Amino acid sequence: MIRGGRSYVSSLPAFSNDAKRLLVCTANTVSIFSTSTALQISSLEGHTAPVTTVIVEPASSPANNILCYCWTASLDGTIRYWDFSVPELLKTINMKLPIHSMVIPSLLGQPADSNEKQFSLFAYVSLEGTRGTNSKKHKSKPKLLHGQVCKCNLTESRLVGGVTLAETKVPEPITISSSGKFFGIRKRHKLSIWKVPDTESERVVLRKITLHHTKRMTVIAFHPTERTVAAGDVTGRILIWRGFGDKTFASGDGLAGGKMISNDEEGPGVRNDDDADSCTTWHWHPSEVNLLFFSSDGAYLYSGGKEGVLVVWQLDTGKKKFLPRIGSPLLYFTVSPDPSLSSISCADNQIHLLKMPSMEILKSISGIKLPCSLPEEYEGFGSGVAFDLSSALVALRTENYCIQFYSLFDDRGISEVQGCERNHQPGDDVTVVVTLVALSQDGSMMSTVEVKLAEEGIGGLVCLKFWASESQNKKFSLSTIIYEPHRDAGISAVAFHPTRRVAVSSSYGGDFKVWVCNDELEQKDVMLQSSGWTCHAVGSYKKKAMTAAAFSADGSILAVAAETVITLWDPEKNVLIAVIGETLMPIVTLSFVGKSEYLVAASWGSKPQLSVWNLSKLSLSWSYMLRVEAVACAADLSLFAALALLPESSKCQESIGTTFQGRDGVILLFNATDPVPVATWSARKAKGGTLAFLQVNPSSIEENISDGKPPQTLLAYMNGDHEYVLFDPYGEETHELNVIPPKDLVDPEEIGQFGYASIYGELPEFELKRNQTLWVPSVPSEKPWETLFSGSSHNLPPLTKLCSAFLESLLEKRTAVVE
Amino acid sequence: MAEDLQPQSHVGKSFPIKPKLKPKARTLSQTPESKYWSSFKPHQIPNLVSSIHSLDYSPNPPHLFAAAHSASLTLFSSKTLSQHSVINSFKDVVSCSSFRSDGSLLAAADVSGLVQVFDVKTRTPLRRLRSHARPVRFVKYPFLDKLHLVSGGDDGVVKYWDVAGESVVSNLLGHKDYVRCGDCSPVNAEMFVTGSYDHTVKLWDVRVENSRSVMEVNHGKPIEDVMFLPSGGLLATAGGNSLKIWDLIGGGKMVYSMENHNKTVTSICVGRVGKDGGEEAMQYRILSVALDGYMKVFDYGKMKVTHSMRFPAPLMSVAFSPDCMTRVVGSSNGIIFAGRRKKKENEESAVGNFWSLGRVEEPRKPTLRPTNYRYFQRGQSEKPKEWDYVVARPKKVKLGEHDKLLKKFRHKEALVSVLNGKNPENVVAVMEELVVRRKLLKCVSNLDNEELGLLLGFMQKYSTVPRYSGLLMGLMKKVLEMRAEDIKSSDALKGHIRNLKRSIEEEIRIQQSLQEMQGIISPLLRIAGRG
Repeated sequence: MIRGGRSYVSSLPAFSNDAKRLLVCTANTVSIFSTSTALQISSLEGHTAPVTTVIVEPASSPANNILCYCWTASLDGTIRYWDFSVPELLKTINMKLPIHSMVIPSLLGQPADSNEKQFSLFAYVSLEGTRGTNSKKHKSKPKLLHGQVCKCNLTESRLVGGVTLAETKVPEPITISSSGKFFGIRKRHKLSIWKVPDTESERVVLRKITLHHTKRMTVIAFHPTERTVAAGDVTGRILIWRGFGDKTFASGDGLAGGKMISNDEEGPGVRNDDDADSCTTWHWHPSEVNLLFFSSDGAYLYSGGKEGVLVVWQLDTGKKKFLPRIGSPLLYFTVSPDPSLSSISCADNQIHLLKMPSMEILKSISGIKLPCSLPEEYEGFGSGVAFDLSSALVALRTENYCIQFYSLFDDRGISEVQGCERNHQPGDDVTVVVTLVALSQDGSMMSTVEVKLAEEGIGGLVCLKFWASESQNKKFSLSTIIYEPHRDAGISAVAFHPTRRVAVSSSYGGDFKVWVCNDELEQKDVMLQSSGWTCHAVGSYKKKAMTAAAFSADGSILAVAAETVITLWDPEKNVLIAVIGETLMPIVTLSFVGKSEYLVAASWGSKPQLSVWNLSKLSLSWSYMLRVEAVACAADLSLFAALALLPESSKCQESIGTTFQGRDGVILLFNATDPVPVATWSARKAKGGTLAFLQVNPSSIEENISDGKPPQTLLAYMNGDHEYVLFDPYGEETHELNVIPPKDLVDPEEIGQFGYASIYGELPEFELKRNQTLWVPSVPSEKPWETLFSGSSHNLPPLTKLCSAFLESLLEKRTAVVE
Repeated sequence: MAEDLQPQSHVGKSFPIKPKLKPKARTLSQTPESKYWSSFKPHQIPNLVSSIHSLDYSPNPPHLFAAAHSASLTLFSSKTLSQHSVINSFKDVVSCSSFRSDGSLLAAADVSGLVQVFDVKTRTPLRRLRSHARPVRFVKYPFLDKLHLVSGGDDGVVKYWDVAGESVVSNLLGHKDYVRCGDCSPVNAEMFVTGSYDHTVKLWDVRVENSRSVMEVNHGKPIEDVMFLPSGGLLATAGGNSLKIWDLIGGGKMVYSMENHNKTVTSICVGRVGKDGGEEAMQYRILSVALDGYMKVFDYGKMKVTHSMRFPAPLMSVAFSPDCMTRVVGSSNGIIFAGRRKKKENEESAVGNFWSLGRVEEPRKPTLRPTNYRYFQRGQSEKPKEWDYVVARPKKVKLGEHDKLLKKFRHKEALVSVLNGKNPENVVAVMEELVVRRKLLKCVSNLDNEELGLLLGFMQKYSTVPRYSGLLMGLMKKVLEMRAEDIKSSDALKGHIRNLKRSIEEEIRIQQSLQEMQGIISPLLRIAGRG
């Protein structure tokens, strides 16, 4: 079972001390990427819920740069301490409450004392708890979630009793200054800032100030050296308070005297009686500011927001510099210990590594792109996902008019094709939509459909594009553009012929067209020079809207759904062969079941239906009243899988409600001859999900599953958020699973042990690019120290080398997997 | 490796607007071969007396060619395509002529049955070969043979002549009808073929004792022309509207039958195509001309017609010069359609260098010194050598003025600037971009009167063009709705509207007449479809 497609931008990433690695929170694990290649090297696995914070322990001196320790906090209520070079779990602290954010001030900036070890390490965590348990005042509303900021003693692994610094409606992320002296949270219209006491102990009372604003704040940042804090609000303003907390914090330092005099002197722009010298406002961002960061020397402020432009403010003058057209909302900005490298996380699941002063993008860690929002009339369209079955790639349409090719086995983006040459502005309303993506069976040809929406009835345009890739590298180049292929009618489906260079497009305008690539024509003695696609035939049936199309496995039959009936055509001669059946609602998906004589059709609407048609009898074989989101057919067997959304009614029922908690879909595996499903699995976020049977070539499965007999095909399920899972649908164990309540395959919080994993336990994540040096085997059986020193003394390597090898051989090493 | 695997980032790019692509013409004129055949610059030689029965090139440079028309034989220079000399010593219509392999003698036959041999330079008849009882239609010198001639005529007899003695060496009997054509083997001096109206082509060998044909093939139609292909193993025959290729070595099997002409194919010849020294150096083609006025180029390697050319008259004869520079086509109304390629200078110079003896000492360039201005510029305009690795400068995206304005979100200015330009495609592309940005109607409402006039002028010109009408018709309605007040108040704009109205009315008229036509045609098509 392979999982992937996780979000890389759920929380702030962290650089390692040598800036060669980037630690990214990816759901339950922390993935470690190399900054030079932007490929994943290893991962920290152990948390059972999404990881929310990763903090790399900074090196106290440059010599210690190779130290690789980090703290992670997760929603499963644990804080863990890792050596991520090995990678190895060193320590687990259970807080019992979901942790949304954590800061450890003493790691930052505090002078490294020689007797540092004697002090305990304190962290400040933002927890999620219920009001009923923690606060006695509000017993009337026990279910209301709320967040609280607490102090935690990491050395003794417990919360510091009685110290709850703040309570908020929702758990807020804590921001800390890079010197580690202050940390703060935002509470709607207020900022709460605490000063970290110089000597940490459990009893020390933290001083707190509050800064007020009239708008809801979204992000805060501390100046690295001065007492300056910046905050962004929902309207796009950036507020900078200078000299905050002079009165409150300074008094504690014993410098109170002089400052207290200026008590009645109001700082310009400071509201209420906020403790700050001055407050200035900068306004450039048109919408919410998501990202604020002071440069390490404190001269610049980086800001970014929904519009996808990174703005660099010169702090003294307010002059701006821009890095425009990043193409998606910016979320986080991190600097590395190496001053020339920083990273920026974007909402489209990309982390860009920036070369710093020039702000060039060096590399991009590209996760799977998120589903893009569509205008309403195109909401019902498929998910815009096409699978390349042979090479286990998936083509996804993205927000910025690209088609992303994502490798399911490697769990990384392979390439991107600019589907239509436009710049995407994240804030704008969508006016150009890539509605359909289709790939040929061998993955060498692609077809996309894009729609330009009309402005008050002017200038709408539908384009059908055909792409070709020369080799396996998936670098597609545009071969043919067809403007308005079906006049102004929208295209409902595009399907490729399984063997030849032929495609069909069906339209709501009541016709379908068969397109032929000229290479195909040339064999028929027609002289043509450039390869391009031309219309070969046009067909229509009673002027009904054509809603779906599919070729049979051998390509001899073309099935086109004309609203509620299925018409079968000879694609070569364009002759109507037969018309079958009538469904209740218009058909949206058609698919031939492998090489068998069955055809699956799914229709949506008020009376949704999944129906299986027998082509030899030209009649309905069986059908279900199910809203089927996606259908996938195995290439050679008569099995097919359907992703069905659970109807609203069944979700409400108590008995089922317990089984399907939070899950809205079921994957059903059918044999086409039999209406009883062979296997079922329940799934989360099934709306907008897709299914596909992937062919597995033995070479890749060898590394993948060290089982004796690798599965022939894997079933891939991608949910509405583009997280995916690959599993073997024919495994013996899966059939047994049928009777017991189906296990969740998608939700990372509750991993169903199943199939291979149920017997042998979870396999490590499969990594093609695994760095050999990091792959540490478990303790070797032979004893290296016996042979290490053998041989004549003048042949021995120097003692310094031998010593480390010797010591290493004595140490017991464990694998990264924590059972 | 890792770089290859990296998805390239699209961050920070900007795309200039592009007009919609136009469909590419799917005509055949694009192939390199068609280009070659169209590179013959057409030249007409008019005013010859009547139908040109035969054309023949001299094998020697400067490759004169002889055109037989009426009772005279005209020699033309193939360089200038002008008349070189005329031989008039014929009593009747000249039917055929043939140069000897050294180009110094010319044999010509006429309808009176006489075959004459001329000196090309002096144009005096040297020999008169009289033996045919009926008109002679075909005369030819055998391959590399200076002493003999082959002729055939309407008496059905093929004669092998000893030219010096003016005597017939052998009479080859076998044809049952008029002998109209023939050719001598390009590899053997003793073998030749003749074609006759009895549908057969006979292969003769003068070494065979009993004067019987060695082989015969049946074309199925009266044969108008027959020809050996350059290898000597294949034969091409023309008769009726078909051209057939025969394999002689394989026992006279038909290889291919080309039936692309609509009327009788009257003449064929061998042409050559391709660049000198290239990979496809000099491939042979068959040129065929027919009474339907078409000249077709047939590639007998791929069995495909690779080019076809239309002439405004029935064609009678065709010839292609041995140096591949000219081709001539004779028509039935006395016009020669000649074509000549432009000569490339470098070819000649290359030949010149080849023959020049020894190396010419090149003048030594003086070494540059800092006193010379060029010293400081040396190497700046150096061209990269073939083996040099060129680090290409990143291509600069060319931005038009409208692109720059669009980048600054100055939409109205962009629209106006592109309207001032001449390119309607760009105007429509900018409008489409504005539609995508939801700003087109805003722009229209912001235009002042002068700019509105510009827009109306553009629309009057192009709104009926099918490629743009989809967008412009809708836009026009909106513009008229939105700006009705302004238009009413300005005379200039009213004028534009009047023009607009006129062009729309004209378009409607065209559409109506097209519909009428469609009404006439569609029943016919329906009937044809049923049949």
